[in-house]
Amino acid sequence: MKFYDLGHVPWLHSQLIYHALPRLQREALIILAPAEPYVCIGYHQDAEQEVDLDYCRVHPVRPACQVADVGPGAIPVFRREVGGGAVYLDGQQIFYQLVIHRDNPLVPRGKEAFYRHFLAPVVETYRQVGVEARYRPVNDIVTAAGRKITGTGAADIGDYQILVGNLILDFDYDTMVRVLRVPDEKYRDKVFTTLRENLTTLRRELGLVPPYQELVDRLAHQFAPLVGGLEPAELDQAVYDKVAELTPRFTAEEWLFKRGKRHAQRQVHIATGVDVLRRVHKAPGGLIRGDSVLRQGRLSDVSLSGDFFFYPAEKLGALEEALEGIPPQEVEAVIARFYAAEGIESPGVTPADLAQVLQPYGAT
Amino acid sequence: MKIDRYEFPDDLYYDREHNWARVEDHLMTQGMSDLGQALAGEIVFVEMPRVGRVVRQGEPFMSLESGKWVGRIRAMASGKIVAANEEIEGECSLINQSPYDKGWLAQIELTDPAELTSLMRPDAAFAEFIAAERKKYGK
Repeated sequence: MKFYDLGHVPWLHSQLIYHALPRLQREALIILAPAEPYVCIGYHQDAEQEVDLDYCRVHPVRPACQVADVGPGAIPVFRREVGGGAVYLDGQQIFYQLVIHRDNPLVPRGKEAFYRHFLAPVVETYRQVGVEARYRPVNDIVTAAGRKITGTGAADIGDYQILVGNLILDFDYDTMVRVLRVPDEKYRDKVFTTLRENLTTLRRELGLVPPYQELVDRLAHQFAPLVGGLEPAELDQAVYDKVAELTPRFTAEEWLFKRGKRHAQRQVHIATGVDVLRRVHKAPGGLIRGDSVLRQGRLSDVSLSGDFFFYPAEKLGALEEALEGIPPQEVEAVIARFYAAEGIESPGVTPADLAQVLQPYGAT
Repeated sequence: MKIDRYEFPDDLYYDREHNWARVEDHLMTQGMSDLGQALAGEIVFVEMPRVGRVVRQGEPFMSLESGKWVGRIRAMASGKIVAANEEIEGECSLINQSPYDKGWLAQIELTDPAELTSLMRPDAAFAEFIAAERKKYGK
């Protein structure tokens, strides 16, 4: 298999090369990093809902590839054909991009098997530099402490299967949280805290960042036996021509603003099994707002607020504490028991109303 | 036909991508088979096809996402898309929960019904194919 070790490339190329190769009927492993920062959203996401586009338009980072900027001096925003969520990407992340034919006998069948197999080189690379990483289904790599240390996604493009992901050398948590569209600063703070707790980097784990080329070489060495060997190569003109051909489509507003997942509420996915929730519900007794973090199917950091009456008011904190560690589907029963035990009155707001603001997408 | 825990209604056509088709006159309703939805896992989003679009057999015409994987659905036969299941747009779990009924994907007006002969029927050969697929995918 061809191996393109490209170093730092213009940010748009860091996405379009792997979109071009399956369209040229070519397999390859690409390892690169973007020369400029940008925001990348998942294929099915809604740009306006996920990203603070106004912030990206005026954020004073140095301009990248002008063709796809959302404005002068802006952080570019790009929609990929791969799944997953909105991410902030920059040169402190090394991207690995595998393009392999779906019928290649080296491709394991099934989503989990595919991820497990082709993330093994990434796990081993982390281990070799001193991070006790391991694969966590379906598509995460985590440290011994359970912190995510790679972002991954996959797609079928034509007859090819694509795996993309990153080795995270360092991470700009502040900008990541700033580029997301959130309902208010309180929610942003919660996303920031949860992200810091659940996403780590080589710098945080090791106190330093190993040299770029050492990481690339280790990664390629680990990938080689899984793809039948690697043949270092230079990108040829056909790839650049295909990238140029794809550029207008992938930088068009119609593509960026393509209709995606729309949700009445906000939910930011941090890692497998970790989501920050904000839900609002208009009950007969008033508006209820629920903030929480869902960790492995259980609630934490529960906060209930709004413009409803709750007597005695000082018991609201105790109710929030009672909901720590409770699965969302059991919340209503726990609240009902709390009401009965504590003699709570909340005119026009039932335990079911409160439970509703602590449910993830699709649960109600 | 039932193969282990997977249902394959006898009156449907199947392809090697784990889709099913129900054909009435020249109208084909397409969906994902019970095994197909199990292989996909929990589906979190489906991109609806554009009604009116003309598709060729084997051509991707819609996409869905599960486990951060964007998968494409290919047309089982050529024709014009005349309907898409709007119910699954807001509730894509229907594809997992009710693959042959409420979770159907799209309806295609066939231009060449002869293409159906390339599809499979739930017979002994189909059972062998499914057994091989289950072994391959560990399902």
